[in-house]
Amino acid sequence: MPDRVKLMIAAVALIFIAAIIATIKLFGPGSEPDRSSDGPLYVEIVRDGEVIEKLDLNSEKDRTFRIEDEKGWNEVTIKDGHISITDADCPDHTCVKTGELRSEYVPIVCLPHKLMIRFAE
Amino acid sequence: MLTAAALIIFIVELRFPDIIPVPGVKLGLANIITVYAVYRFSGREVFLMVLTRVILGAIFSTNFSALIYSFAGAMCCLGGMLLLRRVVPVKYIWLCSIIGAMLHNTGQMAVAVIALRSFAVTVYYPVLIVAGCIAGAFTGICAQLILKRDIK
Repeated sequence: MPDRVKLMIAAVALIFIAAIIATIKLFGPGSEPDRSSDGPLYVEIVRDGEVIEKLDLNSEKDRTFRIEDEKGWNEVTIKDGHISITDADCPDHTCVKTGELRSEYVPIVCLPHKLMIRFAE
Repeated sequence: MLTAAALIIFIVELRFPDIIPVPGVKLGLANIITVYAVYRFSGREVFLMVLTRVILGAIFSTNFSALIYSFAGAMCCLGGMLLLRRVVPVKYIWLCSIIGAMLHNTGQMAVAVIALRSFAVTVYYPVLIVAGCIAGAFTGICAQLILKRDIK
């Protein structure tokens, strides 16, 4: 095995392990925001890099609404203090499959509509 | 001919349900053909083949918003693999494939950051890399098996 190949395998293995650790940190336990206090818990709906709506999950009532623009629509549901995209007219439906917004770091993303839902700072 | 084969694989894969609900994660079975072609044909030929596949793939899947992501990914991946072809012998084609997959993810991510005008999506990058490594290893091994038969 040539040295260059060995070196590359080592580098790839290192990146792989680092990526696994990062994934666990970002998605695993401890990534959820603190819900123990009664204070507001803000989420932002961002489109094209602009915040179009800011909601407080702790005071929002359960409801379903649509966000629409010329690219298409996404149906957002708030239930028991959790927010998710429940339907959309995009071809991949990845945002729907993502489920509820859980991690503080990981937004719900709809790439076709350039839409994002995340916890506000 | 190979473009056609890649397209067929791509279309068949469209029928698979998405196992992981993360934007951008896919097994990319059609890339078996790409990896194979990289080691078998000239850079120009492979480039044209991949370009055709990406565009026709978008038409068949009617998912045009995905076109720009797969295009950016495919070009990063292809560029990297064509360079790697000089350094990595055929025996280690899986390594080339994994690095190609990582570059593909990097290209996708760059476009996503530009499209969403936010770095928030980069948190998906590690997941993409993990998935890319596994998918890349798999496609690489498949390509290796095809190449072995080819040489005989």
